Amino acid sequence: MLCDTARAVFAEASATGMTPIEEAGFDLLLVSEDQGGFGGDWGDVDAVLQIAGVAVPELPVAEFIVNEALLAAATVSLMAGAMAQAFALSIDHVNTRQQFGRPLGKFQAVQQSLAVMACEVRAVDAAAAALAARLDAVGRDPLAADFEIAAAKLRANRAVGVVTAIAHQVHGAIGFTGEYDLHRVTIPLMRWRSAQGNDAHWAQILGRQVGGFGGRGLWEAMAARGA
Amino acid sequence: MQGFALYPFDPPGDVAALRTDLRGWLAMNQPQDDVVARANCWASFDPDFSRALGAAGYVGMTLPAQYGGGDHHPLERYVVIEELLAAGAPVGAHWIADRQTGPLILRYGSEEQRERYLPGIAKGELYACIGLSEPGAGSDLAAVRTIARETTEGWRINGQKIWTTGAHFSHIMLALVRTEEGSERNAGLSQLLIDLDTPGITIRPIIDMAGHHDFNEVFFDDVLVPHGALVGTRGQGWKQVTAELGLERSGPERYLSSHALLAALVDAAGPDPDPAVAGLIGELTAEMWTLRQLSMSTAAKLAAGEDPMVEASVVKELGNAFEQDMPRRVQAIVDCAWDGDTDLAKLLRALLIASPSFSLRGGTREVIRGIIARGLGLR
Repeated sequence: MLCDTARAVFAEASATGMTPIEEAGFDLLLVSEDQGGFGGDWGDVDAVLQIAGVAVPELPVAEFIVNEALLAAATVSLMAGAMAQAFALSIDHVNTRQQFGRPLGKFQAVQQSLAVMACEVRAVDAAAAALAARLDAVGRDPLAADFEIAAAKLRANRAVGVVTAIAHQVHGAIGFTGEYDLHRVTIPLMRWRSAQGNDAHWAQILGRQVGGFGGRGLWEAMAARGA
Repeated sequence: MQGFALYPFDPPGDVAALRTDLRGWLAMNQPQDDVVARANCWASFDPDFSRALGAAGYVGMTLPAQYGGGDHHPLERYVVIEELLAAGAPVGAHWIADRQTGPLILRYGSEEQRERYLPGIAKGELYACIGLSEPGAGSDLAAVRTIARETTEGWRINGQKIWTTGAHFSHIMLALVRTEEGSERNAGLSQLLIDLDTPGITIRPIIDMAGHHDFNEVFFDDVLVPHGALVGTRGQGWKQVTAELGLERSGPERYLSSHALLAALVDAAGPDPDPAVAGLIGELTAEMWTLRQLSMSTAAKLAAGEDPMVEASVVKELGNAFEQDMPRRVQAIVDCAWDGDTDLAKLLRALLIASPSFSLRGGTREVIRGIIARGLGLR
């Protein structure tokens, strides 16, 4: 239901700006019910921001829902949503567009590219979901989820290059036009890779943290932080 | 890809205690193997260790107690496998029997087969190999030609398997054979459980490029096995094998086989790593963490009785790429002599040489991507 509401509100906002989102009260998503909010968890934030990543990538929806310290985590969800959309558009295109007398998706070279893309999209979706589980487990304390935030944002960043490249490649020229919808998600993906810490930023932070764990400590930390 | 959200990984019982107990047991019982043996440790054959591990209750964990198993939840076993691999324990002898053959016999086998084989598997004493590939059936598994003809005395088998890991130390082979003469492709195939000391079986080693003896050729020359060797339903071999491969493709070995190298890199870099090395450690850690989430989710789905064929293939594809890239990326950044005798140098050399096989065994990269594409509806 939350997702249906988000889709409807964001559709309106894509034409008119932030006002419908403000009026719908999305800033209360994480506020507890006894304080007049929705009492949602980060799983809800993830779901809503994945939709925002597709519908209104240019609007500051993440900033409206979460505080500054959690913006990197929120950006992972926006990216997961946008990647899922780039993937859906690509699948639709290769099933529809015919060349050499058959749909593009029937060519092995195209199938193999889309399989690679599917793995990346799935990885980022998993990273966003695992980050959400960690944030909810530690009361959304960004310091207690520092490892997961770094790992998830870094993994999402690294997927951007592969996902945008394959999406555009399988679309051919039509995907490069202003008229077609693909750039509405691929340009935001390129932007989000830099926003809230690029690859090098998070790789240094995570690498130094792991250096502190030591070789055996890395496994012990990872096992202790989930399951 | 819709509705692909993570499946919750929620084993029963106290997982932290399970890890602590096993780590304590390993501290007392794990042999002090060379660092290279600790990498890719699911290929390290050590029957004494397997037997001790079985006696401690860490083999055949998910099998029912009536067959000598531990009656544990599959996700408890998952946790144990994680710890064994992270520690580099030599689990190669019982690996295939514990991971695939035991569960398959439980699922499809006759009561007689269960009673005959499962207790030995759970003790860590009975080892198995998988007879799939043949000279003319590599990636194209449906081209299997080894034939088993039903006679009054039993099944008479003629043909050849190849690339059979561990056949030289295994007691049994679970083989995919053609039981309907003249059948084509994936019809007419069945699974037979073959005792490898049966007359007419010849096993010849194939030495790999690292100089190791892991895989073999296995020849069947008029080999007679009893009627009771058939596993499951005659003619349903393809379906049974496909289900089995899900177990092979998505476990913790997909992100922990090369863990010794990452650990050695972290130790060599020290608590204040050089920026280039820190960046590499960060990237590898992010990949490993993500893979672990995917693998745990797939394991939870399998445990819930679903058949996550595509997800299992995603884990294999990403896991193989991660483990294959890791030594190459370490080599590109860390200055380390090819024949150096530090842990890092020895692991790096061993894994660089082993790494081409990662995207070949258990289904080539191209086959796995084809399975994913089929799951996407493209084929």
